[in-house]
Amino acid sequence: MEIIIKENANSIEGHFVGRLDTVAATKVGSEMAKLGEYADREILLDFAELEFISSSGLRLLLMLNKQSKAKKGKVIIANASDDIKHVLKLTGFISLFEIR
Amino acid sequence: MYKLPITNDISEMEHLEEFVNEMAEAFNLADDFKFQLGLALDEAVANVVMYAYPDKEGMPIHIEADGEQGKKLIIRIIDEGVEFNPLAEAPEVDTDATTEDREIGGLGIFLVKESMDDVQYERKDGKNILTMTKNLL
Repeated sequence: MEIIIKENANSIEGHFVGRLDTVAATKVGSEMAKLGEYADREILLDFAELEFISSSGLRLLLMLNKQSKAKKGKVIIANASDDIKHVLKLTGFISLFEIR
Repeated sequence: MYKLPITNDISEMEHLEEFVNEMAEAFNLADDFKFQLGLALDEAVANVVMYAYPDKEGMPIHIEADGEQGKKLIIRIIDEGVEFNPLAEAPEVDTDATTEDREIGGLGIFLVKESMDDVQYERKDGKNILTMTKNLL
């Protein structure tokens, strides 16, 4: 699992590559913290190459969204696969984020 | 019967992906079923790793799979730790809650139940046995 970060002037992008399972979720703390630095701006999470997510990954997304809401920013989830969208729907996460 | 013995360490969960791939091939699983099986296993095993053996390392967790192609797949997760029924302990999940009102965590067992067709817990001979069934029809 890898999160490739791209910083822009007023936004940040995180490109998620691989599987965000329980093991992986314990290893991406620094990348999530980097994304969190843009909590007052726009954070784009690109899931085009994300193959899998479980509740440990959802927990990271929720923590990031809590930071963003507190600072009036925005978290966008883009290009999620149907399987991942299904998990976002089941858990109600789909209505917590802007989905593209 | 397919078996994957691991110990109660999060890093041991790296073996789950390969196990799921093996199941997918053996039972000719569609991609969405393979995803759901991976999800149920990640959640259920994480639960055992975190709660079954407080303060003990190198303790056994047995993962077994059996089934019939095109009919059903049965996964069992067995540990010899403290009695713990994840189905009874799991909190209610309010999927309509806002970000601010959301609790961190508590979604794991909810996702196990959503991903599988039947989930049963049993305490027998000092063991916790979680049996998860997926209909492959």
